[in-house]
Amino acid sequence: MKILVAVKRVIDYNVKIRVKPDHSDVDLTNVKMALNPFCEIAVEEAVRLKEKDVATEVVVVSIGPKAAQEQLRTALALGADRAIHVQTDERVESLAVAKLLAKVVEEEQPSLVLLGKQAIDTDNNQTGQMLAALSGLAQGTFASEVVVEVDKLQVTREIDGGLQTLELSLPAIVTTDLRLNEPRYAKLPDIMKAKKKPMDVKTPEEMGVETNTRVSLVKVESPAERKGGIKVGSVDELVDKLKNEAKVIS
Amino acid sequence: MHFNFTEDELAFQDAARRVSADVLKSNAARYDDTRNFCAESLNALGELGFWSMNLPSEYGGVDISSIGMSLAVEEIAYHCAATCSSLTAHFLATDSVLVGGTEEQKQALLPQCAAGEKLGAFALTEPGAGSNPAEMRTKAVRCEQGWHITGTKHYITNGAFADFLVVYAKTDEELGHRGISAFLIDRNTAGLSFSQPEKTLGLRGSHIYEIGFDCVVPERALMGKEGAGFATAMEVLDRGRVEVAAMSVGISRAAYNDTLAWSHDRVVSGKPLCRHQGIQWMLAEMHVQLEAAKLVTYKAAAARDSGQRFSIESAVAKLFASEAASKITDQAVQIHGGYGYISDLPIERYYRDARITRIFEGTSEIQKTIIGRAITA
Repeated sequence: MKILVAVKRVIDYNVKIRVKPDHSDVDLTNVKMALNPFCEIAVEEAVRLKEKDVATEVVVVSIGPKAAQEQLRTALALGADRAIHVQTDERVESLAVAKLLAKVVEEEQPSLVLLGKQAIDTDNNQTGQMLAALSGLAQGTFASEVVVEVDKLQVTREIDGGLQTLELSLPAIVTTDLRLNEPRYAKLPDIMKAKKKPMDVKTPEEMGVETNTRVSLVKVESPAERKGGIKVGSVDELVDKLKNEAKVIS
Repeated sequence: MHFNFTEDELAFQDAARRVSADVLKSNAARYDDTRNFCAESLNALGELGFWSMNLPSEYGGVDISSIGMSLAVEEIAYHCAATCSSLTAHFLATDSVLVGGTEEQKQALLPQCAAGEKLGAFALTEPGAGSNPAEMRTKAVRCEQGWHITGTKHYITNGAFADFLVVYAKTDEELGHRGISAFLIDRNTAGLSFSQPEKTLGLRGSHIYEIGFDCVVPERALMGKEGAGFATAMEVLDRGRVEVAAMSVGISRAAYNDTLAWSHDRVVSGKPLCRHQGIQWMLAEMHVQLEAAKLVTYKAAAARDSGQRFSIESAVAKLFASEAASKITDQAVQIHGGYGYISDLPIERYYRDARITRIFEGTSEIQKTIIGRAITA
């Protein structure tokens, strides 16, 4: 079976986020970028399925600026077979991403599409679900376990208060949660070999997909700085403050 | 001069940064504390292909530039200088085979070294021959089965943990340095005796040993031509000095970054340390030393990549970056005050780890001699 994995270039999770002085957006100048951690888990799952001979081909796709090819190359180094880069410098919102991916799904006809449950930059958690709707395919979101059977899939989902197991018919869309697997590190020889793997570059225009934005970004603000704590002299004072200042108990 | 790192170089830097932060960092303090050999960290690097960085693909290597390798070495040293030292000692051994070995030796050994399966040690220094290898007393005498090697080497990084040793010995005592030859010796050869690891000031996770030799090795153990050992060692050390410089930069950057962060958090007399001009000046000095050390290191790496001789560049880089590491880690301790002197923070470890960089692979004074002779020639 063929697996399509969608990956996103995001700010590295170790980076402390800065907001631009005019609050128009997050400042990306000279900021280290990386593969979205949930996408990395999706790549790892696909590669493991290939290693178990369940999958025959792993194709990675990313939508974004030219530099997103770095993340595609990382995915290739981790074991994907080929890459598709949908190149655009525009801000693409979830629906546009889902439409572009739906087009790729239509062209590639994968049996399984793996995506991260969300990207750690905007935390929308929409693309997988929208893609499932647009493609008319079954979806299993927040997967913590994926078991492929002949023409169906068992997906264990992390939900509030427990786990839920779904059976999906293939082809299907699965979004990955944190505990699905622990991604490997790319090996140096594989980093070098990744350069030789095929990468197909196209644009939204060439694909005939309209990516107009329906949502405009109004303002970005840093979280309020945490204020220092105070020391209370007695339990009575604490109870008094919780009641009358914080108003969290009555 | 400016450096635009290639995609490959940045990918190697990134890969090294990641394993260093995830794996090496968590082991580093323990190695320092227990003086246990850095086996887990070194093997983790081996599995990911980092033991192959100095080798071309025809021998299982990855064809990365020296700049890419320096960037990776810097990231490895950033979290664990001890692991970095064991790795670069392995490079000295495999570089020796690459530079001076026979084709048969290269084919037989280097792919396994690249794959992280065989660890090497480089045995040049002796109790009475450090800065001047020509004074070595270890000798190899032809015998019926090949060569009879006798003598003592010391400060040999990886020693007892290595799978093989590159041993430099006199095959002709009359010829001075031209009488030195290199031998490739299996660690399990009968007649090798290893001391306990030395108790060192720094790099405690990277063991160094005294090794006694009274062994017989086959004729094929000779690397290349008889008498070519000194030239091999000098070329290998030219290469190794770039790595020591990169390692020094890694330690320096760790000390600098930790100190800069500390200076924002630690409040003295009502304001953070970094708002005191005296501290700003110290931080500025550290910054300048670090930036300059990086540049000479990358320049030496670029010179190595150019294929021309790079003895001066590598000596300049090694001298400057190692001296800078001592200055930077010293200032790091000073700015941290008492906190820099106790082992709760890694600052005192950086200080101890940095010290050897001015001594091994040629002392600072030897670097000055190399540079001085070259510029007055």
